[in-house]
Amino acid sequence: MSIKNIYITLAFISFQSIAFSQSCLWTLKGRITDESTSEPLEFATVFITELQRGDAADENGNFAIKNICPGNYHLQISHIGCEGQQLYIKMRRDTLLQIALHHHTEILNEVSIHGTHDQSTVQTLQSISKDDILKNASKNLSDILEKLSGVSVLKNGSGISKPIINGMYGNRITILNNGLVQAGQQWGNDHAPEIDPFLSDHISVIKGCASLAYGGNGLGSIVMIENSPIEEDPHLHGLVNYVYQTNGRGHTFNAKMQQFNDQLSWKIAGTLKKSGDTHAPDYYLSNTGKNEWNLGVQVHKKFSPEWSTDLQASSFNTNIGILRGSHIGNVTDLEQALTREEPFFTTDQFTYHIQAPRQEVNHELIKIENKWQKNDRLIFQFNYGGQLNNRKEYDVRRGDRSTIPALSLKQFSHFFEALMHKEYSHENHLKSGIQFNITTNKNNPGTGTLPLIPDYISARTGSYLILEGLNNKINYEAGVRMDYNHLYAPTISRTYPRTIEKYTHDFFNINLAGGAKYNISEDFKIALNTGYVVRSPEINELYSNGLHQGVSGIEEGNPDLKKEKSFKTILSNELKVNTKFYLQAQLYYQHIRDYIYLKPEKELRLTVRGAFPVYTYNQTNANLSGLDLQASYEPSNHLKWIVKYSYLNGRDSKNQQGLIYMPANTVSNQIQYDFTEGKVFKNTNISFTYKNVFRQNNIDLSQDFLPPPDGYSLANLELNTNINSRVKCTISVENLFNTRYRDYLDRLRYFADEIGRNVGIRLAYSF
Amino acid sequence: MIRIISSIILLLTLHACKIPDPIIPNEDEVITTLTYKLTPLTGGSEINLQFNDPDGIGGAPPVISGGNLAPNTTYKGVMELINEQLHPPYNITSEIEKEALDHQFFFENENGLLLNIMYDDTDANGHPVGLNTILKTTTASTGTLKITLRHQPDKSAAEVKGGNISNAGGETDIEVEFPIHVN
Repeated sequence: MSIKNIYITLAFISFQSIAFSQSCLWTLKGRITDESTSEPLEFATVFITELQRGDAADENGNFAIKNICPGNYHLQISHIGCEGQQLYIKMRRDTLLQIALHHHTEILNEVSIHGTHDQSTVQTLQSISKDDILKNASKNLSDILEKLSGVSVLKNGSGISKPIINGMYGNRITILNNGLVQAGQQWGNDHAPEIDPFLSDHISVIKGCASLAYGGNGLGSIVMIENSPIEEDPHLHGLVNYVYQTNGRGHTFNAKMQQFNDQLSWKIAGTLKKSGDTHAPDYYLSNTGKNEWNLGVQVHKKFSPEWSTDLQASSFNTNIGILRGSHIGNVTDLEQALTREEPFFTTDQFTYHIQAPRQEVNHELIKIENKWQKNDRLIFQFNYGGQLNNRKEYDVRRGDRSTIPALSLKQFSHFFEALMHKEYSHENHLKSGIQFNITTNKNNPGTGTLPLIPDYISARTGSYLILEGLNNKINYEAGVRMDYNHLYAPTISRTYPRTIEKYTHDFFNINLAGGAKYNISEDFKIALNTGYVVRSPEINELYSNGLHQGVSGIEEGNPDLKKEKSFKTILSNELKVNTKFYLQAQLYYQHIRDYIYLKPEKELRLTVRGAFPVYTYNQTNANLSGLDLQASYEPSNHLKWIVKYSYLNGRDSKNQQGLIYMPANTVSNQIQYDFTEGKVFKNTNISFTYKNVFRQNNIDLSQDFLPPPDGYSLANLELNTNINSRVKCTISVENLFNTRYRDYLDRLRYFADEIGRNVGIRLAYSF
Repeated sequence: MIRIISSIILLLTLHACKIPDPIIPNEDEVITTLTYKLTPLTGGSEINLQFNDPDGIGGAPPVISGGNLAPNTTYKGVMELINEQLHPPYNITSEIEKEALDHQFFFENENGLLLNIMYDDTDANGHPVGLNTILKTTTASTGTLKITLRHQPDKSAAEVKGGNISNAGGETDIEVEFPIHVN
């Protein structure tokens, strides 16, 4: 539990009639409440660093600090179990502060109040706290998101992972990097999103029906990665964070610095990661090391009261090893690997060395956001986003070819948008925009292999209109989006002699969505969201052609694919039974007509490497229904119990079978104990989490090489403390009992166990 | 209205935007033709077992020609691997020779075939490679001969030296089957 975000309304009121400019007579008063529940936070403290004194809130959340001289001050606000946070204020008179702390991180927010992209009030949003991002700075984005109920991870070993939200992954979900749809080769199941969580301040997930305001090709749910605006503090502030992990002997070093200035404000953040071979309970997972460096810069410039420009740039660079024993030549090799306890090529030596098979990925991003605020009720934005993705995959090859990438792709993406936000009355808004996106993907020559994905150029033009309003106790939202997609792909024939075969596709899509939230009382809210979304087939679904090394199958695209049509409804509710017990639930149903999936064909294809199964992209109808539940119970100020449960059933209604790669049901229990504030150690807590992942029973044996692995249970332990307000320390143990298990959503389940016990030590210093 | 017009303009420019044709890569690693040449030691005509797939993995199916062997005969076997997609055809056998430490052929009788195949070459560590072999037939039999080439096998594993593939590991670069009659 920590302060995830803190928002302050500074209201200056004079409650003393006579003001002496230089006398120390001013009072700082205020009220501290819980952002989610509006309950006052008794015993929360406000401390003025410069004066070395402060006050604690009373039972109504009120505090007062008297006899303050005019000046600028840093405030430290804290509450038991919450993360301490700094705030900068200019005292010129008596000042009243309204402070809302995010005391319940397990509870979904109604609104994203951070960042620059305000979200609808009728959809539910789930966030990762800033402190959780720091604690998990050594992890991938997807592994951090997995903490949220309803979010699972599709993996290719522990190093490569992508998020699954309510059964949707890859192109079916939208990943927004500071408002920009993350480009990159998102089609590949073994391609992780090229994002360093540390470079951002907020990570959240919207389990939605439609993402009308964004130009991606998703079916509703969104992962949002955002930087917060640079805090209005003229001093240089920053932090350094270091994480060591025993499993893989991994080092992660992060640093962040920022400074606000009326002319130009800036923030810079960077990450260095190095880890070696990880270890399953019984053996090393050979060649699973990773090297990574990332850098992010954010600049804010205000030209006039109306005009401001924000620039964000980031660079992501990684080199990841892939388990050597998972690199196989044909089905015989796969069958042999399936019978083994320990993968081939397992060595009993730890090494940081990374050899083929491996991936080298580089992603550059730049976004320029220009905001023109004509008045309080009308805002225009003109934005540009550019992305470059460079992906090289190295296989074990004959001769010296292991140093030549077997797949080498370069993708450029340019995005332009013009947005308008108009407020008609206090609670009625209109948002609209036009967007244009052009992406080119080129195979770099010199790989000596036929490309799996052809070169292509894709252009999308879209426009949207969203209406939002509040009528008495009901928030409502309705919107429409139109997209025109054009795709041109010159492919290389599979017959010999090779020729170029050119294809073009045009898709026109209309998406509709609406939602309403009924605020029955402060304590009970219920929302219904529904949407109709169309997704055009992606390049891999249309034209991929070749041998997929990892699973020993030949994958063939299908140029005749139609669009996927999704209809989704979500019913969500929030219930506060009393001040100690909260309950939230989301119930959803999604029907996808012409759902695109890889269908195993009956024929085997004979090659010099033996006979291979053939998979072609095909369409069926899919039904997904599920429930996500989170509840928290707080019997005392010190103790908290959090339960999360996710249920999902994905069915192929045409073929009467389960859908592949659907997450199994999970339940997780967390018990946290917050210690009384000590003299030196503050905000000390210990938490124990026990997660059960059930077996995926919806898959028939004929749909996979192996039946899904058994369910498993994992225990994690975490101890946090702050040494004065500057140093934070975390000791964590993942997979506490060194449990041997395999996960259905990990492609490497055919070859090896998941990683064993991992002890992490984290130290952070902020200034 | 402005939105519609601008969309139309964008669409029109789009149709003009194409990308250059891709460069067709030279797939120098591909093995299009495997020939197992069998020459009777006592003289007589050479028998070629051949697997031929000029367009690689996709396209047309491969052509496989098996052979008729005489009973109670000893043949000298030579493996030849060619990539016919390159001009002139590229000899992959020499690549295997250079990387003999990382390669080994395996020969297995299937479906009732009775052949006896022994290695007739070694790498720098004294382990067999299988580019040169001695094949002996005994009584009449019919079945298939399965030839496998493993890349980076564990050549020191138990029985691998004798041609048993079970413990070899590594990745399969070649796996072909030939119908054989011994009569």
